[in-house]
Amino acid sequence: MFGLIGHSTSFEAARRKALELGFDHIADGDLDVWCSAPPQLVEHVEITSPAGPTIKGAYIDSCFVPEMLGRFKTARRKVLNAMELAQKKGINITALGGFTSIIFENFNLLQHQTIRSTTLEWERFTTGNTHTAWVIARQVENNAPALGIDLKTAKVAVVGATGDIGSAVCRWLSERTGVGELLLVARRQQPLQDLQTELGGGRILSLEEAMPEADVVVWVASMPKTLEIDPSTLRKPCLMIDGGYPKNLDTKVAGNGIHVLKGGIVEFCRDIGWTMMQLAEMEKPQRQMFACFAEAMLLEFERCHTNFSWGRNNITLEKMDFIGAASVRHGFSTLNISPSLQISVA
Amino acid sequence: MTTLNAPEATAVEGMDALPDFTTDAYKDAYSRINAIVIEGEIEAHDNYMSLGTLIPEHKDELAKLARMEMKHAKGFTSCGRNLGVQADMPFAKNFFGPLHGNFQTALKEGKVVTCLLIQALLIEAFAISAYHIYIPVSDPFARRITEGVVKDEYTHLNYGQEWLKANFEASKEELFQANKANLPLIRSMLEEVASDAAVLHMEKEDLIEDFLIAYQEALDEIGFTSREKARMAAAALAG
Repeated sequence: MFGLIGHSTSFEAARRKALELGFDHIADGDLDVWCSAPPQLVEHVEITSPAGPTIKGAYIDSCFVPEMLGRFKTARRKVLNAMELAQKKGINITALGGFTSIIFENFNLLQHQTIRSTTLEWERFTTGNTHTAWVIARQVENNAPALGIDLKTAKVAVVGATGDIGSAVCRWLSERTGVGELLLVARRQQPLQDLQTELGGGRILSLEEAMPEADVVVWVASMPKTLEIDPSTLRKPCLMIDGGYPKNLDTKVAGNGIHVLKGGIVEFCRDIGWTMMQLAEMEKPQRQMFACFAEAMLLEFERCHTNFSWGRNNITLEKMDFIGAASVRHGFSTLNISPSLQISVA
Repeated sequence: MTTLNAPEATAVEGMDALPDFTTDAYKDAYSRINAIVIEGEIEAHDNYMSLGTLIPEHKDELAKLARMEMKHAKGFTSCGRNLGVQADMPFAKNFFGPLHGNFQTALKEGKVVTCLLIQALLIEAFAISAYHIYIPVSDPFARRITEGVVKDEYTHLNYGQEWLKANFEASKEELFQANKANLPLIRSMLEEVASDAAVLHMEKEDLIEDFLIAYQEALDEIGFTSREKARMAAAALAG
């Protein structure tokens, strides 16, 4: 069995969903009530791969909402309690979705392996970052040419280049895709220099310097709410892959030759009888999902019960090959810009 | 995704620091918390002995559980003594008053299901969650004792669970009623103890969530659906 740990995009959305599911009393509660609400296993799903096997899974809502980010202990407890529930339900491999893996990493939850009487078995969990990185890299490869951008000569900026996903995307674009030039953007200098050495190339720039030069921008950092991007300074066409969380880039710059694509999203080849992706505001909630969730499904399909994506900067090209091949084999495709747009550009 | 604009872990870890067990403020709060724990264990002993009269075929097993509770009460008494604290027993008696009253009424009416819900589910889940949260912030002496107690309490929760599971259909309606009548009492007990618990570095929010996790696990095991469980637990959250 695979598991997905997710959460609502906002407190308001969480209340609406709770009401819909018949959890009226919790829905009526204020944020304090939600801070004390235990995780809930809200849905069971069954998925059949075009390659044959059928797997079972469960969706666990951690009852975390982004409004809790300022309450460190609450956020930490929500993640650990949801993980404990997944393990107690006997789930083999569970993906940490949305803010869950971010909280796990940033709040150093590896130090909190014992939850009440349960010792968390890390091999039962995955951040799903390997699949996310592979999907984002493929989205660049698939969609840049459709907009008339030749990747062999293009400048590709990776914002958040030193993160787990960002560095993996850089490795792939540098070694597999062979892009014109990589522009490396991140907050801290030392990891940037280390990455540059590892890649044997790439130019370190500030965000302001990189944006006007880039034909493709891969965002794998969350965006400060105050960030302003002046579209007139950007190249046209420009492909922007919004791989951060939450995905809000399209509200800032889309239009006039600037194409924003939701990054790290995959579509399954047939409808899945679940309701939970409505929570994540997917365009086709019956088929589309975060690539990190799909990674748990792929690992279950492949009977590969291990913490496949774990820790920082452990994503190798070989691992991306493995998860990418599984993704294709089991009927997932990456989200692309709309076909009508591709025709008009062509 | 490593993309959160938030302070790094070091800032967070500091909040798990141990309290100073020697201050007057700590000892004052401890005198009430310690008394609640001791009184809870003594009442648990009495309640399991009473349950033996309602379920005579389990009399011996229940007497065994009761003996364990009395052992716990002694252990926790020594925790207070170790810190030089006199447990405020009149406060604790008063604290358990309403729940004690409901148990006694149900006992007189021969309502096994209600008695089990109060003692074997609510009080045990309350104790388990409170002990779990207490352990990481307790003094070394109390820590050793509390760790031993938690293991026992799970077997007590398990007793109620198993009986109610075996009699689920016949018990369901009464469980709904008993939950409605008694869960709000647990909520007010948590409220009442919150400020003293905070002095011991135990936070209300943690206590409520951990209690609900233990309670919902028990309800799940007994046979309630997710929706029924959430509906029942809501009585504690809504306050």
